[in-house]
Amino acid sequence: MAKPPEPLQDVLPKATWVFDAEVVEVLKQGPAPEKKEARAGASDTGQKTASQTVKIKVNRVLRGEPVKEMIVEKPEAGYALRAGNHGPFLIDDSKVILGRYGPDTYAFSKLEAAIAAKK
Amino acid sequence: MPKITDRGIANIYTKLETEQRTNPSVKIGQAQALEILAAVGDRSGWSAASALKELQKPGLTQQAQIDIAKKGLSATERRDLEKILDAGTVPLEPSARQFLEAVIGRTSPQPPNPPVGNADLKIQGNQTSGLSGFAKAGDSIEAINLSAAPSGRLTLEDTMVIGKADAAGQFKNAKLTGDQAMQEGDLIRMRARHADGTAGDWVTVKAEGLGTADTRNAAVAIFRIGLTDAGNGKINVANINASRQVSEPGAQLQLTNVRTGEKTKVTIDDKGSFPAGFSIPGKPGDVFSVAATDGKNNTSFATEVGKLTVPGGAPATGDLIKDPALHKDELNTDGTPKFSTKRFTGPLFKDGVSPKDTQQGQIGDCYFPSAISAIAQANPDALQKMIKDNGDGTYTVNFKEKDWMSGNYKDVPIKVDGDLYVRSWGGPLYGATLGSDKGEKTMELWFPLVEKAYATWKGSYNAIGNGGMSSDVFQEVLGKDGQDMSIKYANPDTLWKTLKTAIDNKQPVSAGTYGDDQDALYTNTGVHSDHSYSVLGYKEVNGEKLVTIRNPWGETEPAGNGANDGIFDLPLKDFQKLYQTLMYTN
Repeated sequence: MAKPPEPLQDVLPKATWVFDAEVVEVLKQGPAPEKKEARAGASDTGQKTASQTVKIKVNRVLRGEPVKEMIVEKPEAGYALRAGNHGPFLIDDSKVILGRYGPDTYAFSKLEAAIAAKK
Repeated sequence: MPKITDRGIANIYTKLETEQRTNPSVKIGQAQALEILAAVGDRSGWSAASALKELQKPGLTQQAQIDIAKKGLSATERRDLEKILDAGTVPLEPSARQFLEAVIGRTSPQPPNPPVGNADLKIQGNQTSGLSGFAKAGDSIEAINLSAAPSGRLTLEDTMVIGKADAAGQFKNAKLTGDQAMQEGDLIRMRARHADGTAGDWVTVKAEGLGTADTRNAAVAIFRIGLTDAGNGKINVANINASRQVSEPGAQLQLTNVRTGEKTKVTIDDKGSFPAGFSIPGKPGDVFSVAATDGKNNTSFATEVGKLTVPGGAPATGDLIKDPALHKDELNTDGTPKFSTKRFTGPLFKDGVSPKDTQQGQIGDCYFPSAISAIAQANPDALQKMIKDNGDGTYTVNFKEKDWMSGNYKDVPIKVDGDLYVRSWGGPLYGATLGSDKGEKTMELWFPLVEKAYATWKGSYNAIGNGGMSSDVFQEVLGKDGQDMSIKYANPDTLWKTLKTAIDNKQPVSAGTYGDDQDALYTNTGVHSDHSYSVLGYKEVNGEKLVTIRNPWGETEPAGNGANDGIFDLPLKDFQKLYQTLMYTN
């Protein structure tokens, strides 16, 4: 689903952890979401991919209690994860990945500036 | 007196002889020659008086006068004219002599006009058969029709090569074609391009001999006129795209303040723009009616070209036009909206139209801003022309709809006001103009209003916010059939050629990525699935083919592409891997 990322000011307050992390393993894949009807070649149909349970290795903690790794849930969304994917992960207190595009949602520079401004 | 047989001609000539006897300075001039021709034209079914009236019609060219006279010319009358020319007792002025000689076919109809021009280029005669004159041997003659150009997207340098000077330096009957074709009274600007690539100075002529009258008024590109508050009871008036014309040089524009009735006239300068520092009395929110004349047409300024509003005025109160409903994601369960509207009164255009202006909002319509951005790259004038400020807080956006029976496109005008749904902090919820300026009195409005009009036309933001195809938008804006090409299975050479041809021909191009089935491909690539991107250009660097792409978010791109402005270069092989469909127009 190619809507732009949600405004960071809406998402950051919900993030218990903000990590620089990497997907180590996809542990579980949820059922495929209902297929959206759309013309061939249409964009922005809102089609989502299955939820996933993934293990991430934490390289740096920008917000929250320090941890080395964490098992987190990727909800049904317009992206999918596989081992090796990396970037900033925003995680809520239920250990669900926030941000419409997971680690591709926000740039580190933007996150770091926003977190610094909150301190 | 020579022995003149035709009674009508004889009567006129006798009268002239009598006058000449008492006043030796009497000569046959143009007026007397016309009287004689009226007597000749009387065989065309007219009386001499009505023939004279016909010959004296305003705007009639000399060639047309000669044609009328020739139509009624008998053998006897021809001999009579020969006697007047060769054995007459009343002297003829040179122009009258050549006029009468043209009627009997002895000479060219026009006395040879003195050539006009400069050391590099001289134009001779009228333009009945085209443009003729002299330059250096081998020079190309470049021309632009300044009377036709304001309506299009030509810059003053966008000339057409209309001919080449031969070994004697002469060129003949060169013509502008298509939209640039000359009409009577048009201003034609020309220059000679030398073999070494340098060009001579411009020469401008007013086209003559192409018709009975100058019927084309000065065109006005009203979308290039920018009004800004100068803060002292004055409004600055400027051409917001100075490389292109507002109107033809010498045209006079009248701007009437609808509130005060005050009228201000201005003459368009040699570059087709307003004189530097031109301003008019007014204040933010004032509406100005614009009219123009080329000195021949609409001299009373009775016909209006359009209206312009000075940005920043107090917004009109009340909802002027019902707004399209929000997307279903932004409605509460009881159907009430989660967001309210705010009236935006900024300028429609700040610096013309740019592909970087569009920014997708929180709605699934990426195909729309990516298509509009592609059109802004290929044909910005089409977007400037499609939206009109009605001067009353409303705007009309003109879309195109195909009649599938006839294959023709018809206009679909959609009227909207400046109310946009806004977030809690005041910025637009849906499409906006990219940049930090989201102010209700200052944000450039063209893109959010075009998107709003699109939602109005289709029924709601929900109707446009669940995916679509850029090729449909190309059709609905340009009135040209859109094309889709599958990228995955295309031969790379064919894909490259298709893309290049479309861009070189100034056609908009966009590309869509794959949907859910390929999502894992996209994470960490900087490109997103189920998304539409504008294709702005192509280049080859060290033999590598690169496609220049823009994300309609105005940000987010593969690493290593400079500022995060959403614009990036992608190697063709990666483009073919990540993108599913190429869309363009014929």
